Amino acid sequence: MTGGHRRILVVEDDPETAGQLVDQLTTSGYQVDLAASGNEALSRGAASDYAVITIDRMLPDIDGIAVMRQLRDDGIAAPFLIISALGEVDDRVRGLRAGGDDYLVKPFSFVELLARLEALGRRSDITAKETIMRVGDLAIDLMSRTASRRGKDIFLLPREFQLLEYMVRNEGRVVSRAMLLQHIWDLHFDPSTNIIDVYVGRVRRKVDDHQAYPLIHTVRGVGYCLRAPR
Amino acid sequence: MVSGTVSVLLAKTLASSTFKLALISIGTFGVIVSAIFSYVYLSTSSYVRSRSDRAIMIEYSSLRDAYERSGRDGLIDLIKRRMADKSFADHLYVLADPSSAVLGGNLKAWPPTVAAARGWTEFRPLQPLPGATNQPLLRGMLETFPNGDRLLVGRDISDLDSFTDQIKKAVIAGVALIFVLAGVASTLVTRRTVGRIESINATSRAIMLSGLDKRIPLRGSNDEWDRVAENLNLMLDRIEILMAEVKQVGDNVAHDLRTPLTRMRGRLEKAYHGQRTAEGDQTLIGDTIADLDAVLRIFSSLTRIAQIETQARKGAFRTVNLAEIACEVVELYDAAAEPAGTRLTVVGDREVPVTGDRDLIFDAIANLVDNAIKHGRAGGQVVVTNETVDGSSVISIADDGPGIPPDQYEQVFKRFYRLEHSRYTPGNGLGLSLVAAVARLHGARIEMLDNAPGLKLKLWFSAPVG
Repeated sequence: MTGGHRRILVVEDDPETAGQLVDQLTTSGYQVDLAASGNEALSRGAASDYAVITIDRMLPDIDGIAVMRQLRDDGIAAPFLIISALGEVDDRVRGLRAGGDDYLVKPFSFVELLARLEALGRRSDITAKETIMRVGDLAIDLMSRTASRRGKDIFLLPREFQLLEYMVRNEGRVVSRAMLLQHIWDLHFDPSTNIIDVYVGRVRRKVDDHQAYPLIHTVRGVGYCLRAPR
Repeated sequence: MVSGTVSVLLAKTLASSTFKLALISIGTFGVIVSAIFSYVYLSTSSYVRSRSDRAIMIEYSSLRDAYERSGRDGLIDLIKRRMADKSFADHLYVLADPSSAVLGGNLKAWPPTVAAARGWTEFRPLQPLPGATNQPLLRGMLETFPNGDRLLVGRDISDLDSFTDQIKKAVIAGVALIFVLAGVASTLVTRRTVGRIESINATSRAIMLSGLDKRIPLRGSNDEWDRVAENLNLMLDRIEILMAEVKQVGDNVAHDLRTPLTRMRGRLEKAYHGQRTAEGDQTLIGDTIADLDAVLRIFSSLTRIAQIETQARKGAFRTVNLAEIACEVVELYDAAAEPAGTRLTVVGDREVPVTGDRDLIFDAIANLVDNAIKHGRAGGQVVVTNETVDGSSVISIADDGPGIPPDQYEQVFKRFYRLEHSRYTPGNGLGLSLVAAVARLHGARIEMLDNAPGLKLKLWFSAPVG
């Protein structure tokens, strides 16, 4: 995320949850505004320029998605992160991915929220597409869809390449298991097994085994982060 | 008390829909019968009348012929002869001159009500005909000859009238009798129906008051009422089983949740009362979050199954390729099969269309493949086959592990059910319930087969139409 534009609007009606969010986001270096209702969100959202707006699906007055639509109609371009209560991820929420916005199901870990916010806020400052992306001694070719380290090719299945590409694009940021499921497999549920870890483990062996330093790091309790040593 | 019950039953009979239906059919039937009877009555009476009219016409023409042939005197002669003839006893003849003085016939005076020149007339004479007791109804044909003489030829039609009257009475009595009989019959039939429904209602009330163990008594008559009672009883059996399952699930959930919750509580309590270190706190918090996540996962699995079972997701069904989903699952789970030394392969058709929800089908196949890898033989193989069989889209997942005893095939789909020997492999026992819920939502059939050795599980989807 570009410096200086780390202002976030949190729309949450439960005072305790809202308080926790404001505290933790502030600690993480965000400047946070809070709205406790849909109407307040509408006025605040239209008044200032936010990097991301997080909005609870169930608000006392207006439905979160309706607020989002309204702000969109008013020309607000900020990405939205819809926060939905357990078990009500319906098509409307799932459809958000297409619009470049995101959703999160309650209860969520704060690290997961942070990872989503980082990913959403970054969208605006993606530079022109390059065909070859590099992290440390890893190079991935987006055209031929091949990867190599120190010039030595790494054999990857198409899906494995997709996963690596996603991690490279999010270099230095945490990507959660749920984010991987959504982006790589287009799945919107949490498989009750550790299959994602197993899968990432295999990619990691291919990428990191017998190399000078590891690139893929486990972030305990959340997911993974791809970064080169400084 | 008894009369009270009877009157309640009667009131229910009268208010029942069967009775109303019976009344409607009686009404319709009655109208039809009345119409038929009226037709019989009308055609009989008109036939009788037309026969009598024809006889009058014949007699009238022969008399007119006699007048035209042999004049007034010849006609008077003929009338006299006719009156003497017994077989013409019920005939009426009157010949009068222009001043209405009677020249011959069996009326002493020209009937004053008859004023027309010619044509049909009906009247009652001032005095009875000779030999008749009551005042008869006469019907006759009039003719006025060129010299002003008037001839009336007719018959006593009182008998005909009373004959048609008899028919009319019989018809009315018949219709009335039919109505009464039909009314009585329908009351009896309705009462029987109401009695059966009452016994079903009584059982329902008993169930609401005391519990699910009551059943509706069968009469052994093997009729549709027994069928209804049987089906309701089966439904009650089903509900009772479901209730028992819910209770079982509740107990299991409580157990599965209590374990991590107790651990967390104990840990927190210990930290609260005991000595705390930064490192200890770190471990405590990490472990607690992990346990909480386990609890939340059980919750979301349960709500997910419950959500699938509400059928709400049917609206978002699309045509998806079963084989493609299977390949994606296999590709993903190959990562898990590799460390176990299991060879995971997908074979069969490349295009197997199914109408459904990709996420759910993926989840179901993933669960089955995951199970096959976990419960199959280490170093064995798991084969996923996609095919179209007789218009059905079929996916089968087969392993070569120890399998499941056939008598436990049904059991494994229950929530939290775990086979004795798999108690110590990871999993929460919800996987197959989810598969079952997804299959139910898609109208798919689950078939379990002995793969000798191992288990083969088949999902039969009906292929999308068109």
